[in-house]
Amino acid sequence: MWGGIRRWIHPFSYIVTSPIKIDIWSDIACPWCYIGKRHLEGGLAALGDDAPEVEIEYHSFELAPDTPVDFEGSEVDFLAKHKGLPESRVQQMLGHVAGVAAKAGLAYDYDVLQHTKTLKAHELLHFAKEHGLQLELSERLFRAYFTEGRHVGRIDELVELAAEVGLDADAAREALESERYSAAVQADIAQAGTYGIQGVPFFVFEGKYGVSGAQPVEVFSQVLTQVAGEHDGAVA
Amino acid sequence: MSDATTPQVTDAPSTDAASTDAPSTSSATPSPFTMVTGDAAAMVCEGDVCYIPGVGE
Repeated sequence: MWGGIRRWIHPFSYIVTSPIKIDIWSDIACPWCYIGKRHLEGGLAALGDDAPEVEIEYHSFELAPDTPVDFEGSEVDFLAKHKGLPESRVQQMLGHVAGVAAKAGLAYDYDVLQHTKTLKAHELLHFAKEHGLQLELSERLFRAYFTEGRHVGRIDELVELAAEVGLDADAAREALESERYSAAVQADIAQAGTYGIQGVPFFVFEGKYGVSGAQPVEVFSQVLTQVAGEHDGAVA
Repeated sequence: MSDATTPQVTDAPSTDAASTDAPSTSSATPSPFTMVTGDAAAMVCEGDVCYIPGVGE
């Protein structure tokens, strides 16, 4: 997935192209971000041998900064209290999300989900990026939050998850306790504001094309095909 | 493939079409990107709520 690829253009010569850059603004607590991640992956897989090489970078977008780290209650309780929505309406919304997630192969479990502040998770994603494991950690954090009921707001739990993807536990703990990546998280959020990004997931291909929302697999395939064509044209 | 999933590009951010029932976009900064509209029903999350841009709840 990483690094350049060779494209043969002549029996006796070839060119080396760089991967297509995909920047994604996302939050671990965003159900459509995990679904969008799967759809993007599906869009790439659907292209088969024609799939371009891509380089994916996740950027922080904290959906609800006022969320407490420890919230006693279910996701339904949280949304009902914060948004003043009737519980029946919230149940209906979450049921819809879980249904779409299931179609993407994701088993969301809102009965065990632990709503929390995601600031520390974002800091850890920056730590992981510095160590070349951001994609692995993003997948692990999404799964932990939406399907396993893990608490992704507490340092102890985040360090465990970091170690599971191969990050050094002690270094991860130090990074979180020192808030070393706090500024990087805020820089991502500020950049989103500069770009006019108000909701996530938000995908940017090659710094040129913006895709908002958990678009269907087919849309990602088509965007990737178009961008790859332009990319190859620019290289040639 | 249905028309609903055919990407279309627009210079305007897709969230500009949000209705009054959707989270406000009045202070939206113009996007520097060429927006791919794709499926207009694709969901995004903003704050604690997720919604379809341009569709009232």
